[in-house]
Amino acid sequence: MFASVPSAVLFGAQGHPVSVEVHVGKGLPGFHVVGLPDESVRESRDRVRAAVMSSGASWPDIKITVNLAPSRQRKSGSGLDLAIAVGVLAASEQIPIESIERMGFVGELGLDGSIRSVPGVAPMAGVLSVDDLVVPAGNAHEAAIVADGRVRPCRHLRELMAVCNESAPWPDHDVCPDDAVPTFEPDLSDVIGQPMARRALEIAAAGGHHCLFVGPPGAGKTMLAARLPGLLPPLDRDEALAVTMIHSAAGVALPPDGLVVRPPFRAPHHTSSQVAMVGGGSTSLRPGEISISHCGVLFMDELPEFAPRVMDTIRQPLEEGEVSVSRAALHVTIPSRFQLVAAMNPCPCGDGNEPGGCECGDARLRKYVGRVSGPLLDRFDLRVKVDRPDVAQLIDNRPGESSAVVRLRVAAARRRALERQGVLNNRLAARDLDRFAPLEPAALDCLRNEMERGRLSARGYHRLRRVARTIGDLRPEGAEVLDEETIALALGMRVRIRPPHTIERAA
Amino acid sequence: MNVTQLFPEPPIPPSTPADRVHLAALAGLELMTTPRLVALQSGRTPEEAYAVATGREAPSGAIAALFEQTRGLRERWAASAERNRPDDVAERCANLDVQIVAPGDHGFPPQLVDDPRRPAVLFVQGDIGALDARRVGIVGTRNPTRRGALTAEHFGQELAEAGVVVVSGLALGIDGAAHLGALKSPGSRPVAVVANGHDQPYPKRHGHLWRQVAERGAVISEWPPGVAPDPFRFPQRNRILAALSEIVLVVESRERGGSLITAREAAERGIDVFAVPGPIDQRSSLGTNRLLADGAAPAFDVECLLVAIGLDHRRAGRERVDTRRIPDADGTVVLDLMRERPGSIESIAQETGWALGRTAKALVTLERDGWLVEVGGWYESLEPIGGSRRDER
Repeated sequence: MFASVPSAVLFGAQGHPVSVEVHVGKGLPGFHVVGLPDESVRESRDRVRAAVMSSGASWPDIKITVNLAPSRQRKSGSGLDLAIAVGVLAASEQIPIESIERMGFVGELGLDGSIRSVPGVAPMAGVLSVDDLVVPAGNAHEAAIVADGRVRPCRHLRELMAVCNESAPWPDHDVCPDDAVPTFEPDLSDVIGQPMARRALEIAAAGGHHCLFVGPPGAGKTMLAARLPGLLPPLDRDEALAVTMIHSAAGVALPPDGLVVRPPFRAPHHTSSQVAMVGGGSTSLRPGEISISHCGVLFMDELPEFAPRVMDTIRQPLEEGEVSVSRAALHVTIPSRFQLVAAMNPCPCGDGNEPGGCECGDARLRKYVGRVSGPLLDRFDLRVKVDRPDVAQLIDNRPGESSAVVRLRVAAARRRALERQGVLNNRLAARDLDRFAPLEPAALDCLRNEMERGRLSARGYHRLRRVARTIGDLRPEGAEVLDEETIALALGMRVRIRPPHTIERAA
Repeated sequence: MNVTQLFPEPPIPPSTPADRVHLAALAGLELMTTPRLVALQSGRTPEEAYAVATGREAPSGAIAALFEQTRGLRERWAASAERNRPDDVAERCANLDVQIVAPGDHGFPPQLVDDPRRPAVLFVQGDIGALDARRVGIVGTRNPTRRGALTAEHFGQELAEAGVVVVSGLALGIDGAAHLGALKSPGSRPVAVVANGHDQPYPKRHGHLWRQVAERGAVISEWPPGVAPDPFRFPQRNRILAALSEIVLVVESRERGGSLITAREAAERGIDVFAVPGPIDQRSSLGTNRLLADGAAPAFDVECLLVAIGLDHRRAGRERVDTRRIPDADGTVVLDLMRERPGSIESIAQETGWALGRTAKALVTLERDGWLVEVGGWYESLEPIGGSRRDER
């Protein structure tokens, strides 16, 4: 007998439909899976056999052949278990073949017949056009967001067989899984003092600018960075869907209702590998941290400690907003338009704050800072010095402005930018700068001077003008033409990281 | 009355070429120090001393005791003599244009002849005649503030312009800055005293500076080419640096450091020590402020030093033009605040009570006009301590 069951596999952050064809026929007893399964799929033979037998069904002791179509594509992951089991049951006539018509199945099986969660159900559900989609109960919330038809959460193969044999109705499982995480965003009022850093954070939030905090340990760099997502507006429908797909595919815990609506915040450790950052892996091409922080914030603490190759690989996605990962057999593009926030110490000993105040000579300093390549440093629109807060302020403990208040200003500034040019200021094209971010003559002089002195690259010049545009947008009354003070503040938020080679003196 | 004046030592005879070559070879031996060199030479010609040191002749008295006392010294010397044959050392010196000068020779600095710890031999690249002028030593920490380095550079240049030879150690930080300043004055002849051989300029980063000093003035070492900059050689170098100076200026120094050794060596020789006062809580000024407390003279400007060595240019009326744009009202306020210590946009905004934008504008403008320098968000005043050019007008 023959049965064909729709299921799906995952590549990158995209689902691909797979039809699981099962043939049960005469021949020596055996169980074969063909159609380019990888090791993880081949293992499912043993799981499926045990699960079927644990669920009160019998295992047909004749020749069973499973084909995963289309057979030219490599398939990986345990999500095909359930479809194979259902196919075997239908082909061996233990459930009526009509009962699974226009149904799709995704899920991993336990040896006891339980149906377990798998990553990437959301993107897989999106590509399956079926009336009923059977998914593990733990994935039902994400499947419900994108599925065309009804989502049928199931916990056990036995439940599914009962439904197919019409001896029980569909089980009514709570769709909120246990591992769902409610979103928690720390508040900016916890940050004491730090007027410059707060201002920079506000500017970064309003203009989508990349930001680097430089300061000694304990100054609150991490604390500040973690508060950036809280200043950003919620994701719109398209962004939320895209982010949910990526998070689902990467196996990141989703919020209780499945849809990621707040900008994500990711803080990978500095030992993270290149694959962990940009995505990859042999067959499934799991999304990396830069994709998981799509539409959100990627925080790289201790930036110089990251491997140089890792830092350089994020440069291209930083510009293009997506990452292309190619392997011999396949190639996927995963969206990764993230806002980069990084933190570093001013020097290796960390205490080198005030000039002449630490042991690190220029040579050590240059070596430490030199690990971060110039092109990457140049891509930070904001480079801000963070100091340890004043003792008096710390003890005084007067809360600063809360995220809610700042969020209002940020929202107003973003609205201004979108109404004016349709994109946030960080994506304002260089050729539109004169039109949308005109400068007063004095401000232009100031910038020209910085460029002539070699303090500002061409890229830096454009970035600086975008930051100035955002500073203008953040003014309560807005600012059409940008004045010298605005440019000066933008310049002041672009501190020089490397010590100059010689003592220069204009005289 | 001094005892040595009652019983003057007989004048030292000038050295022969063979003497110099053997002296150089002796000085190049591993673990060689000045006291050992002196002990080896007592009652022997350099050639005999070389034979004793390398084991070709039986040691006697002090040398036998030295071999007894320091285990392995005899073997180390014998081994390194293989690598330091007199002719090889002489050739190395010749290739690098290094002259060998012994105490009896014409070129040997007279200030060192009567020194209690007189060097047994000197190696000179350049013209040792540069020392026949007024000499001021400038020393300081290897980790100065940018402003401290600038002060050293300023003093170096001003002294050089007054025709004074700047003596320093070519180390990173203050030393290098002082020489950099001295070289800016055309025709100046700076002198460096270093702690290793001339074959490998140390620190590497100052290789260019080293060559320039050797070209225009002189680079003096107690050790021949091939001797590495071992840490124990630096305090020894400092005594020569001090002895060659008429006065010693310490620009910035930590609570401990080589520049304080130089100051002590100077004081022991009756050479006046000057120190640049600094903020009391700035680490790189702790040593100099301590020197001031201990009786060193404060150096506010270059005139303090010139007067001390009897050169007074105050009425000479040289012309200096400052082309920098005069700061506006906000700029003047900020510059006054920055005179005492470095600051950031944040700290200046806090002190003045201005908005961040206004403060940023003032600081960025001052930086652009050359009044301040910025690194890592810190702004430092570029007015050298003692420069006070702004007040003159």
